[in-house]
Amino acid sequence: MQKNLTAANSSQKLMVFVLSMSLYGMATLFTELIPKFQVGIVEFSVEYFLFIPLTLAILFDPMSAALGAATGELVFSEIMLGQFGGLGELEKFISVTIGVMIAGKMVKDPTNKKMVGIAAITGVAVQQLMGTIVDILKVQFAVEDFEAVAGLPESVYITEGFACLNDILFSGILFCMIPTILLVPKLYGKIEPLLGMKPRTKDSIVSGVSPKLVIGSVIAFAIAIGAEMLAENGMALIDWEASWAESKTALAIGMVVAAVIAVVVLAVIRSKSNSGKESA
Amino acid sequence: MKRLSENILDKFSIDFLKNQVLKNAYGNNDTVIAALDPRVLLAWYLFFGIVPWFSHNAIFLLGCFLFVAATTRLAKVAGLVLFLFALGVFSQTGYLLIVTMFFGGDSSAIMPLLVLTLKVATVSLASITVFSGLDPDKLSNGLMWYGVPERLSFSVSYAYRILPMLMEEFQNVLLSYRLRSNPPKPCGFIGKIKYLAYQVKVVIQAFYPLMLNTAKRSRTTVEVLEIKGYRYAASSREVRKMRLSSLKITSGDLMFIAVSFLWVSIICLVSTVI
Amino acid sequence: MNIIEIKDLTFSYPGAKYATLKNVNLTVEKGDFLAIIGNNGCGKSTLCKTLNGIIPHFIVGDMAGEVTVCGLNTKDEEIGVLSQKAGYVYQDFENQIIRPTVLDDASYACLNYAMKDHRTRGLRALEKCGLVGRENDFIWQLSGGQTHLLALAGALSLDPEILILDEPIAQLDPAHADKIYEVLKDLNENHGKTIIVIEHHTEYIAQYCKNVVFMKDGTPQWKLPSREALCRVEELEQADIFPPQVTVAAHEIQKSQETLRNKKLPVTIEEGMRFFEGFRYLPNDFIRKKSNTNSTKSMISFKNVSLSYRTVKGEPKQVFKDLSVDINDGEKVAVIGSNGAGKSTFMKLMTGLIKPADGEIYLDGRRINGDSPERLSETISLVYQNPEDMFIKDSIENDISYAMRVRDTPDCKSRTDELLKAFRLDTLKDRDGRLLSGGQMRRASLAVGIALKPPILLLDEPTANLDIATRHEIMRTLSELKGVTDTVLIATHDMQLVCQWAERILVLCGGRIIADGERDEIFSNRRVCEIAGIRPPDIFTLGRIIDPSARCYTTDEFERSFRRETVCV
Repeated sequence: MQKNLTAANSSQKLMVFVLSMSLYGMATLFTELIPKFQVGIVEFSVEYFLFIPLTLAILFDPMSAALGAATGELVFSEIMLGQFGGLGELEKFISVTIGVMIAGKMVKDPTNKKMVGIAAITGVAVQQLMGTIVDILKVQFAVEDFEAVAGLPESVYITEGFACLNDILFSGILFCMIPTILLVPKLYGKIEPLLGMKPRTKDSIVSGVSPKLVIGSVIAFAIAIGAEMLAENGMALIDWEASWAESKTALAIGMVVAAVIAVVVLAVIRSKSNSGKESA
Repeated sequence: MKRLSENILDKFSIDFLKNQVLKNAYGNNDTVIAALDPRVLLAWYLFFGIVPWFSHNAIFLLGCFLFVAATTRLAKVAGLVLFLFALGVFSQTGYLLIVTMFFGGDSSAIMPLLVLTLKVATVSLASITVFSGLDPDKLSNGLMWYGVPERLSFSVSYAYRILPMLMEEFQNVLLSYRLRSNPPKPCGFIGKIKYLAYQVKVVIQAFYPLMLNTAKRSRTTVEVLEIKGYRYAASSREVRKMRLSSLKITSGDLMFIAVSFLWVSIICLVSTVI
Repeated sequence: MNIIEIKDLTFSYPGAKYATLKNVNLTVEKGDFLAIIGNNGCGKSTLCKTLNGIIPHFIVGDMAGEVTVCGLNTKDEEIGVLSQKAGYVYQDFENQIIRPTVLDDASYACLNYAMKDHRTRGLRALEKCGLVGRENDFIWQLSGGQTHLLALAGALSLDPEILILDEPIAQLDPAHADKIYEVLKDLNENHGKTIIVIEHHTEYIAQYCKNVVFMKDGTPQWKLPSREALCRVEELEQADIFPPQVTVAAHEIQKSQETLRNKKLPVTIEEGMRFFEGFRYLPNDFIRKKSNTNSTKSMISFKNVSLSYRTVKGEPKQVFKDLSVDINDGEKVAVIGSNGAGKSTFMKLMTGLIKPADGEIYLDGRRINGDSPERLSETISLVYQNPEDMFIKDSIENDISYAMRVRDTPDCKSRTDELLKAFRLDTLKDRDGRLLSGGQMRRASLAVGIALKPPILLLDEPTANLDIATRHEIMRTLSELKGVTDTVLIATHDMQLVCQWAERILVLCGGRIIADGERDEIFSNRRVCEIAGIRPPDIFTLGRIIDPSARCYTTDEFERSFRRETVCV
């Protein structure tokens, strides 16, 4: 019986994962194509279809919904459209996962609209804040003597902070919180039977923000920052030069090696195709 | 603003998007790039996706860019993807370049921007060549070989399978709205704003039926995955080995590596000489 | 030898109040070709899911009793083991295809179970299903029938002893349906597979199946050889199942003619020929189906319409070329043709959802080429093939009232109540459309479709997957629409529906209308039927075999116009 239970559980999780991945993935595919526009200092963007994984995380297993959403975004909008940005994508992946998961875990009773609303906006806020922190750190690392440049820290904090606040308050409320509040009670009790599950209740084990979750999130976030720094190093306004590219002798050696290898490889191919012909 | 408000749903047809994505994934499986081994291409991507960041030599970067652009051409990438690429590069640095030139910025200001633009363009094009040029199954096998979690490589190939169905479903739901709703007339500025708001609302609302319909589908899919032994395979080394056995480095791959190497060494030489 | 043994099986879904399966006791012999019949929602699919371990290993409900498959108790074995014994093809089979290319999907399961010869197994399965030559094709290049065959191949690749198919031909044209059943027959006869189908089409049961299990309210009532089963006409009709038309006709005639009492009822056309030997066609008092409107007011008009769509590879595909047709006010038109002939596209053109590349379309005298569907929705309404896509709100009441509400129709509330009552949905009005049963869903989608009182109504496959009672109900509803919605178009494969209802038939084939006329003209034209892949109802075919001049389309007409020669003399 134990085995049965785990099989059922893992496939239910897979179901939530697949659902979240495909829906959010498709939504991000669209947002990739809808341009953003600015009115004054407020940026309007329909960037946020985050209500989809938020809703699923509140109704089902938050972890699967969160991972599904992050994977969906990666696969559909990054890989499918060839917009893959390398290691830097990890930051988005992790922040989306953490934000959605925290929101999902916060809600004990999906029929409680107030709780759902708070959770949704918290999820967005967490995700946005992480993005902002990474952005600020990026500048801080990139610019030597960050503190020494007069006015720089303040201006960075203010612009980044404002962008973050704008995203949370504008996109967050309009495109995340409100749709989530509307969708969760509508779907509650309807979507679960379609997946062959029982609706989530107060006693379900999935809810509750535990210290473990917080610590896990912090560690994951640290990794995200690391990855972002690594990826963005070259983007910095002041480039640092790879030493091998600077030294001409190293370069020369590299080229010799390259040429030699190229020749060897070509020779191998030739001999291979020759032997192929002979045997044929 | 005006153009956007005219019609999201009309201009940017889901059909077109579906077609482009599929074309991008499968329409070019007879190209030189598609025939390459995914492992080779991924390694190649690692080089052209990272190295340009660490150089600020314009000639070297230009060389890289030309080479990568040539591979993108070979991969016969769909128009939409190239358009997005252009948009992406422009929004990141390109517009700065144009603005600077417009205000008569001298070469000292243009040069760093040009370098930055070249970097961004090279790296993006490299990722387009690899991720759009390869068919998704090969890509997912290649990722698996590099030890990427099974879930992700499964997601890559499954995403391409589900996308056409999902878009059709989404399209049907939107059509239902179109058949029955009564949108505000897009006349005047206020009317246009209202119309835009209406469309955004419809797209969001469409996810309610879409979620339920997709839930029904994914249940069947996951049941079938269970029947077809997906869970066994995920933990079995043997299956992994069997799946990866289809990967073979051919002389074409070696040639590709050699040519890339040759090109890089030539541009290195040129850039040091000048 | 029994390959399946079910003892006292009771099962209820998690959270459900009632048991879906009650005290099921059933045995299936090895090598059987078994059909499971029963009305919508009687537990047929649930029963089948207990055979491959999905229940109880995947769907964790309350299960009592024992199921033994190939000597294995399903409770003790894992799904992996069971699914290699019993292959399953779902009703929504397109969701069953996981991989993007054909051979890949066919061999996917074998690969997952680490079978060294997974490719050969996949190829062998494709060969058995007649998909040779399509190995490297992408899924979306396949037709509906081929996709179904691929789902079958995927199940077959594991070489299971039992194959279970849930309504395999529900949405297929006759040619594709025959193909599937021929494949199943081959598997059953030449490869020793035990085959179980859930099937509404009794004509196919008569032709292919050996035994029939009749289910009612979650319990199998009986299991009989199919001949015998299908002859229980009254019992089947009570349970909303259509027996074959031939059987029904013979049954009715038997009632009035003493001499036929002890003759065995026929279930196939061949048997029918023997049964009705000596009968003659005497066109009786029967009413010719003729258009009862003399209106010449054109409601829908196509003038040289052309349309093509983009393809992933190569040239765009032409759907219509220079299509011209006029449909007058009050006409009842059936649009028929094989899968992929363009029936749905034809209808979408009328509603403005698709714009023609060339040519003009007029609705009620107004040119609509540039009009958006929102503006046309008060003139024309389309009910989708898949009713689930019609529901965009969270309750059917909201769905029905939506179109009126956004137009500020004054009597919105009363009209909604009226519709709910007319379609007997008032007790269900707070439920989500998707969670209703098949028949209720259809009714609700019709109510949504006519809410705005459009003069023209388009229905795409309105009777697919429906049992007899729901079908009658849909037919009745259609006849009640008179007065408001007079012009109705139905796209369908259901020839019984066409014969009973349509006054005019359009035959679409290869993007052209190859025939246009009354049913006599269409069904008597063998060439047209052949080209377009149309199969007239069995009763019509039987009538024509007995007497080539016969034209009867329903069992009623048959009964009235065929007499025994002796009677006339």
